[in-house]
Amino acid sequence: MTHSLLRRIGQLLLVTFGVSVLAFLLIHLIPGDAAELILGAEDRSPEALAALRADLGLDRSLFAQYVIWAGHVLQGDLGHSISTGRPVLEEIAGRIGVTLELTLLSMLAAIALAIPAGCLMAVLRGSAADALTRLLTIIGITMPGFWLGTMLLYGAGAIAPGVPLIGWVPFSVDPVGNLQRMILPVIALALPVLAGLARVLRASMQEVLFADFIRVARAKGLSEARVIFRHALSNALIPFITSAGILAGYLFGGSVVIEQVFALPGLGRLMVGAIAERNYPLLQAALLLATTAFVLVNFVVDVLYMAADPRTR
Amino acid sequence: MQRIALIGIAALLPLAAAAQTLEIAVDQSPAGLDPHVATAFSSAQITSAVYEGLTGIDKDLRVIPALAESWEISPDGLSYTFTLRAGASFHNGRAVTPVDIVANLERVRDAKTASPIASRFAGIKTIEAVGSNQVKLTLGEPSAPLLGQLAVLAIVAPEAAADLARKPVGTGAFKLKEWVPDTYILLEKNPTYWAKGLPYLDAAKFNIVPDAATRQIGMAGGTYRLAPAIDAATAAALKDKPGLKVLEAQDLAYALIGVNASKPPFDKPEVREAMNMAIDRGQLVQAAYFGRAVVGGPLSPALAAWTLPNSTFPCYTPNAAGAKAKLAAAGVAMPLKITINVLGSVKQVVDNAQVVQAQLNKAGFEVSLNVQELGKFVADWRASNFEVFASLNGGGIDPDDYFGRTFATGGATNVFKYSNPDLDTLMNQARAETNPSKRKTEYDAVQKTLACSGPVATLAYGTLFTAVSDKVEGFVPVATRSMWYLRETKLSK
Repeated sequence: MTHSLLRRIGQLLLVTFGVSVLAFLLIHLIPGDAAELILGAEDRSPEALAALRADLGLDRSLFAQYVIWAGHVLQGDLGHSISTGRPVLEEIAGRIGVTLELTLLSMLAAIALAIPAGCLMAVLRGSAADALTRLLTIIGITMPGFWLGTMLLYGAGAIAPGVPLIGWVPFSVDPVGNLQRMILPVIALALPVLAGLARVLRASMQEVLFADFIRVARAKGLSEARVIFRHALSNALIPFITSAGILAGYLFGGSVVIEQVFALPGLGRLMVGAIAERNYPLLQAALLLATTAFVLVNFVVDVLYMAADPRTR
Repeated sequence: MQRIALIGIAALLPLAAAAQTLEIAVDQSPAGLDPHVATAFSSAQITSAVYEGLTGIDKDLRVIPALAESWEISPDGLSYTFTLRAGASFHNGRAVTPVDIVANLERVRDAKTASPIASRFAGIKTIEAVGSNQVKLTLGEPSAPLLGQLAVLAIVAPEAAADLARKPVGTGAFKLKEWVPDTYILLEKNPTYWAKGLPYLDAAKFNIVPDAATRQIGMAGGTYRLAPAIDAATAAALKDKPGLKVLEAQDLAYALIGVNASKPPFDKPEVREAMNMAIDRGQLVQAAYFGRAVVGGPLSPALAAWTLPNSTFPCYTPNAAGAKAKLAAAGVAMPLKITINVLGSVKQVVDNAQVVQAQLNKAGFEVSLNVQELGKFVADWRASNFEVFASLNGGGIDPDDYFGRTFATGGATNVFKYSNPDLDTLMNQARAETNPSKRKTEYDAVQKTLACSGPVATLAYGTLFTAVSDKVEGFVPVATRSMWYLRETKLSK
């Protein structure tokens, strides 16, 4: 257990390093740079451009820029935003709460509903209810988030006009208003994940429900509820946990679009804006933190496996 | 339970008190609120409510007194004396003095400020404070556009200059209360505004709503009461909604196809003329603007006193056969293969480019479109690294705003590398000309030269749409996209 844990941690560090290089390169490979965008349409003198580039440190080679940046990161300094001059950590800290609330609520909603839906489909397999739920989950998986979000806004605007559903208020200021505004984004973000998870659970539950130990459990005279939730579900959960871990990454990616549609000031909006203005320090830090978080989630999933299934140790 | 009910009532109270807050929906966060540095529209629509210039521009695009209550121009047109408004003060409470105006002009012209508007004030020789309430500007040569250009120079409190991008301090009818990034910018009434009784609103909240469909739903549902600069499709959808109206203003900016006049084939005036003849502008307005735009020459039709009718420009009559004949006369092999760099971040530009592509292909050209992301487009544009490009160009209230920097040899935004010494002389004369009728004659000649053989094919002038609720009174959109009239805006119950 300790050995494989250490190996996973080593992999974790390696992946994080790779990601930092990749994040850095990808951003700098985009044509056009911050200095050109800042000067924009008005001042085209090469001297002004050169001076601003030097000021931003963009006149050095890419390798030198990476080494300087990575050195600062290792000392805990992620740099300052080009557009605001504030430390990027402050910028990110101001936004990450929105994205975390959105993704966590979506994850909770998706898991909480996917478990009963998946069990129901597996138990009622072949019935009309199963067919209908399967059809609904296919629709749920294929529906694009931005379209669903806009449709939800139209629908809610017609059903409940006057209810504030767009924008953002901090939970600490107005908890009711905060949750009100979270309803539609969470539905739009969670629905595809919910549908996907339900299908995964249905498949693994079906397998388990035909296993010998389930027949034994039934033969012992246990109640059907106990058979399904205590015996079948706990054995069918492994693929479900894996999928949930992968879909957490999807949720984070999807939140970029959902934040745009519902005007939520999250990390996704911050990053899209940073790409447009070539705000390298901000983008590098956000990418690094986001991918590290994703790698960490998967690490936690691996550890959960080890806890849930001795064979993976 | 009782406690919850109490909290609920308490939460409602501030809403009742803030009944005179105008909820505005805008599409993007401003890059900053330092008006000498951030001049993009996203910044200007907010800074125009927070700051004022010595002069202002009204809804009919006339120069009006703002922070200066009056001015006198010497007979030779070389010196301007402005008298400051009595009782005008900055948002920090300090009264505005002539020394502040001098400091503002110096700040804009200082290379360290890197102000994009600096070149407009390069012709001012001396700036001096006179007495307790006057400022005198002396010019090297007369400048007809100066009064209009001073409206662009927002007066800031010099002591707050270091942090203006985040904490603006001006003299306008509204001052910054709170800025939550990517969420909203809340402006509150300036209680010591010099115009007594103004503004009527207690606050104006600029909500940042990036998605056009969401802005549309928010306007229809009453979450927002005003949405400036919406696109034509949103305007059409909101026009007939009960409780809403859509206000229109003729845009000063124009859609264009620009060419690199320093390289073959567009170094030949005949080829530029052929391109102009090949474009059917009427069809373009129908196809790409759903008819909601105006065909115009090198000047916006909004500058009614200056614009020549389109019939003055022979190349504005679509003529594919004539275009081919011009190309043949220029000695280029047909089809002439060209690549257009397209500013991909603006949908209107992409739509225009597709229509132009189809039209040019029928008239001896073979066009490929290179749709670019904003950063790449700007980089190529700055370096004149294009054969042809499709984009939008801003305008102003004076003909010089359209011509001087854009078409003069070596001009600040002459990316076309266009050079026409006769035109340069004409434009310099016209800028210094103070006799309106002589000036008009000179600009007529400039328009005739540029319309057909200049480096730009002007396509159309769009319409600025502003959606407002019926509850909003007194708001008037201005073609400069200024929110000046926010100070006279009221909300009815």
